[in-house]
Amino acid sequence: MSGLLKSPPGDRHRLPVLALVWMILLLCPFWIPYIGGYTSLGTRILVLGLAAMSLNFLIGFTGIVSFGHAAYFGLGVYGCGLILRYVTGSTPLGLVAGMLLGGLAGTAVGALITKRRGIYFAMVTIAFQQIFYFIAYKWNGLTGGFDGLRGFTRANLDLGFTTINIINNDYAFYYFVLFVFAIAVGIMGLVLRSPFGRTLLAIRENERRARFLGINIERHIWLAFTLSAFFISIAGGLYALLNNFADPSSLYTDLSGELVIMCVLGGIRVFWGPLLGAALYVVLQDYISSHTVNWMFFVGLIFVVVVMFFPRGLLGMLRRRSEA
Amino acid sequence: MLQLVLFNLFNGLIIGAFYVLVSLGLSMILNLSNVINFAHGNFLALGGYLAYVLIPYIGFWPSLLVAPLLTGVVGYLIEITMISRIYGRDPIYSLLLTFGLAFMLQDATRYIWGVNGLPLTVPDNLSAPLSQTYFFLNAYRLFLVGIVIVAVLGLFAFLRYSRMGMRIRAGILDLDTVSALGINVRRLRSLNFAFGIFLAGLAGVLAGGQIGLNPNMGDSLLLPSFVAIIVGGMGSLVGTLLGGLTIGVAAALTAVVWPAASDVVVYVIMAIVLLVRPRGFLGEEGMQ
Amino acid sequence: MLEVSNVTKTFGSLVAVREVSLTVERGELRAIIGPNGAGKTTFFNLISGFFPPTKGRIIFDGQDVTNLPVPGRVKRGMARTFQITEVFPELPVRENVRIAVEVGAGYALRPRLSATERSGVNRAIDELLERTRITAKAHRLVGELAHGDQRIAEIAMALALKPRLLLLDEPTAGMGEQETFEIAGLIRRLHREENYSIVLVEHDMRLVFHLADRITVLAEGALLADGTPSDIAANPDVQAAYLGHAA
Repeated sequence: MSGLLKSPPGDRHRLPVLALVWMILLLCPFWIPYIGGYTSLGTRILVLGLAAMSLNFLIGFTGIVSFGHAAYFGLGVYGCGLILRYVTGSTPLGLVAGMLLGGLAGTAVGALITKRRGIYFAMVTIAFQQIFYFIAYKWNGLTGGFDGLRGFTRANLDLGFTTINIINNDYAFYYFVLFVFAIAVGIMGLVLRSPFGRTLLAIRENERRARFLGINIERHIWLAFTLSAFFISIAGGLYALLNNFADPSSLYTDLSGELVIMCVLGGIRVFWGPLLGAALYVVLQDYISSHTVNWMFFVGLIFVVVVMFFPRGLLGMLRRRSEA
Repeated sequence: MLQLVLFNLFNGLIIGAFYVLVSLGLSMILNLSNVINFAHGNFLALGGYLAYVLIPYIGFWPSLLVAPLLTGVVGYLIEITMISRIYGRDPIYSLLLTFGLAFMLQDATRYIWGVNGLPLTVPDNLSAPLSQTYFFLNAYRLFLVGIVIVAVLGLFAFLRYSRMGMRIRAGILDLDTVSALGINVRRLRSLNFAFGIFLAGLAGVLAGGQIGLNPNMGDSLLLPSFVAIIVGGMGSLVGTLLGGLTIGVAAALTAVVWPAASDVVVYVIMAIVLLVRPRGFLGEEGMQ
Repeated sequence: MLEVSNVTKTFGSLVAVREVSLTVERGELRAIIGPNGAGKTTFFNLISGFFPPTKGRIIFDGQDVTNLPVPGRVKRGMARTFQITEVFPELPVRENVRIAVEVGAGYALRPRLSATERSGVNRAIDELLERTRITAKAHRLVGELAHGDQRIAEIAMALALKPRLLLLDEPTAGMGEQETFEIAGLIRRLHREENYSIVLVEHDMRLVFHLADRITVLAEGALLADGTPSDIAANPDVQAAYLGHAA
């Protein structure tokens, strides 16, 4: 099964993998109860999976580590929540607003930081995240401050000829989220398989070579950062719809770290790795926090163990074994 | 009004002094090991709690030295058992490792000493106010500034004049050459890490005397300290020093006119510096 | 084609290259030699735009490129390889070349290609692999290839940019006998049959005297001699500073 789990640029096993992944996702509400889950857990994994995949667009496929990506996720959450709370009760408009808020913030920050590399890039992304965190935290009148933004709910989808009830129907909401996920991930996959996407791989593989092929490295990193911010803020918008709530922890450093560990847990060189990582992390964290008050210790331990013993992540290890 | 400005200015100096201690340690570790130590704030808290444990037995003054030393030893052990193993790997791994360690340390602190804050008793003669008009000038705060100045001067003297300090500075500039000269880089990094943690521990004892102890006490210092490093310029400890003072004072002065913005102003300064002078106050051209 | 006049490069107080000039004609193969520390690589980096000179001018094809960043130079027709091979190790040879072809064709920002464009890219890749005789290894990861083959893949990537001037930094550094022979053959074909203008830095004297039309000798950052291989072989200064040195 060499290459079965390989990411773009793809190979002959790409279609079976796609079929498998989409089957699992489409049927999720039907099988998840049998392993002790419930539909909205699936929805949560899907949303965080999209967030982690968006971040991995940068980490795994451009070779740049942002450790402050919760900022754009959280702005997606607030953008969507604020529109629903103050402007209009339209779910799609909420999502678009979230995407624009997070995406444009990412565009602006990205422009300032493209000259930095490695650990220094990560450090600057962490620091910028704090700006958005403090704005959400301090602007009480607008955002509800520390207590978060309440008083909005996702609205049912009006398609003209019919209305889809996503407020009370968990199944319907899951499929709505899956629909949005599919569009975002589909675009992500297409970008990675495009000439532009290949320049990102080139930068990841060898920045010096990429530069001397004539690629404008700074511009391409900026674009990758921007795209990644747009993708992750879509996930943020969905998160607002899922919880009907927005709070500052959605743009805090801890979430950024969790998104990175999801990527690594699943495997950063594999397109679907972060989705699997998100599923594992969410389930593990749920399990730990329901069994001990000292869950933080054990969550920290997960980080340490993954870094020390499983740095390639689950799919990365499978892939390596199958190639050996 | 003048009194208010002076009050805030002095507060800014105090906060800036903490930023300086924390960010100098972070900066030393970053420069030589290329690691961002997310757990730095938790080492700070550990320093404070160790002093809390020690003071009843050995008193305040010895604890001021012993607690940071013990914290440094803990840092040293963590460095040689875990952090040193991921040197040379993609930066993502060191970030995740210290991030996980931060969670673990914080929870361990909470488990051992409880969620609620604890007071750290300082000697009476240090807690008395010195002036009625300038009530904010109590002895402890002057003492605190004094200790920080001594620590910083000591650090710079150590880096400039001691053999090990010179090796650390050389290692920051060119690790390969230092290694080629037969210096044990691994050991140098471990000791350097321990020094950085010592400074965090010292900050923890001082902060404990000022605001009391709690398991999250280092959190609010960690991220502004990143900013101090960025603003001061990567690779320059003097830059970090200036950066720490600048943002401390700027945040305090902002608090006079617009309290809600005082946290954000730190990051706004960073954005401006990145825009106008991307390498920071004293950063090297190539250091990014 | 290339006119370098009086370039100097200093790093702090160190003068790495001092007032060096050089003119390369179209279709010429120019070798730059010199003892270790002569400033060859620094000089080469100045030409390819790795960093700008402290003083002096570089004219390429009639245009001043002294301070032009790398992408601009590539667009005007310069391509280079490195002393330590720079490739995309975790991608197959074919994908390495594909990226170079696409970037060279100006597709770097394109989200997709039309069918015609895509088949054009594929044809160009096939042709490059043939010309550099590495077709048989097209599907191997570059990082897994032998040193010599990695270097050939790197040259194929440089050629994909359709350069008018090819800059090769020690193309046979670290190669075995057989690999050196193959790369020398490739360089000769590119020069004699395909008429590339080439500037190369090289340690291997046999190769240099065998291939080069003209040779530039640097010593301690300065120009020592410039002439045909027979001029250089006969030059007493060069023998003193370099050949004697090596013997």
